Amino acid sequence: MLHGLITEASSFAGSIDWLIFLVLVLVGFWFILAEGVFFWLIFRFRSRPGHTGQYLTGKEKHIKRWINIPHALVLVCDVVIVIAAIHVWYIVKMDLPPADYTIRVTGQQWAWVFQQPGEDGQLDTPDDIFTTDSLHVEVNKTYQFLLESRDVIHDFSVPVFRLKQDAVPGRTITGWFRPTKTGTFDVQCAKLCGIGHGVMEGSLVVEDQAHHTAWVAKNTPAAAQ
Amino acid sequence: MPRKKSLRAIVLLAALGAGACARTPAPGLARGKELFATCVPCHGSDGEGSQELGAPNIAGLPKWYVQAQLQKFQTRQRGVNPFDTVGLRMRSMSRTLNLPGDVESVAEYVSTLTRTPAPVTLRGNVEAGKATFQTCVACHGPDGHGTESVGAPPLVGQADWYLVRQLHLFKKGWRGTDPRDIQGGTMRPMSLGLDDLSMTNVVAYIQTLK
Repeated sequence: MLHGLITEASSFAGSIDWLIFLVLVLVGFWFILAEGVFFWLIFRFRSRPGHTGQYLTGKEKHIKRWINIPHALVLVCDVVIVIAAIHVWYIVKMDLPPADYTIRVTGQQWAWVFQQPGEDGQLDTPDDIFTTDSLHVEVNKTYQFLLESRDVIHDFSVPVFRLKQDAVPGRTITGWFRPTKTGTFDVQCAKLCGIGHGVMEGSLVVEDQAHHTAWVAKNTPAAAQ
Repeated sequence: MPRKKSLRAIVLLAALGAGACARTPAPGLARGKELFATCVPCHGSDGEGSQELGAPNIAGLPKWYVQAQLQKFQTRQRGVNPFDTVGLRMRSMSRTLNLPGDVESVAEYVSTLTRTPAPVTLRGNVEAGKATFQTCVACHGPDGHGTESVGAPPLVGQADWYLVRQLHLFKKGWRGTDPRDIQGGTMRPMSLGLDDLSMTNVVAYIQTLK
């Protein structure tokens, strides 16, 4: 449903959209039902000549069931949502699939700096490629990222991946993604990080193997080749 | 008749509303002052700069220089090196000047600020620095007041730590390596022959200029 509004471009984007849709349906159902009953009661027991109001203690069984039955059903829905959420949380945040490539993403006021392997495919070697604002990745490869911050708390957000992770100064946070669609997408900071937060943007270029190999070859530092 | 009047009123209000939304602030000093509020957190309310934040003294710098640097930041000629933390910050901020005339307006306002020489924070051999400075004279002038025709900024009154830092940036190739940056490209080879001591000395000499 959400992919019609914003592209799903990672392996777990669909799981997150499905979870949001589940929450929307369950919460939406109870919201519409509760509001419907509410307005119906207002209309049904509106002020009319010859009718006086009466005080209800709510202790009688036939009245209490108006609360108890929906309450129990809502709790069932809550349990369903929690189970689904834990399942998606496990996929996105707790599971760490073996990486094809490891990259480093560093946030600073107000730019994203990316470090990725050069032609040797290994991070933290002399042929690493450093870029500002723009991250190039290969489609259908699993990337682990090491997320860091140089100053304040930032948040590495890639909407098409449904990826959002805080970058905390002094910590290296590991996460992953697997792009499933080629194209150029937005990278943004999703944590208010200072006066330039609104312009802390970047781009994510997901390319096929041939284009990515060519990009890596072109951008690997000459001295390291 | 009243119906016609209210229709007119609605049309007028809609037009005014649309006009207010679409209005581009007029470029000029007033707009520059308004925009300068964005610069204050780092450069200070008088443009005096902050060593802690790596922000130079920009008060009273000529409009042409401020404008040129802002345009370089905006067009990724300056402040793009992944390790240049301060430059990256300034480049982002330059992108907030996104309406026509914004860059000119804020540059004009900065040029009207009173330039107070930045305090001296380093010591060097002034005599040795004077000898080194002779290379700089061709562009920056014998008194370090800069030359607009070659795009060389005034150095007098600038913070010493900032000047040393820029020399290091040029030398490391973090600034002045973009082929579009003509002035930076001129400055970079000048920096290559300077070691740390020469940089300190020449900046120490610049601090004696009035």
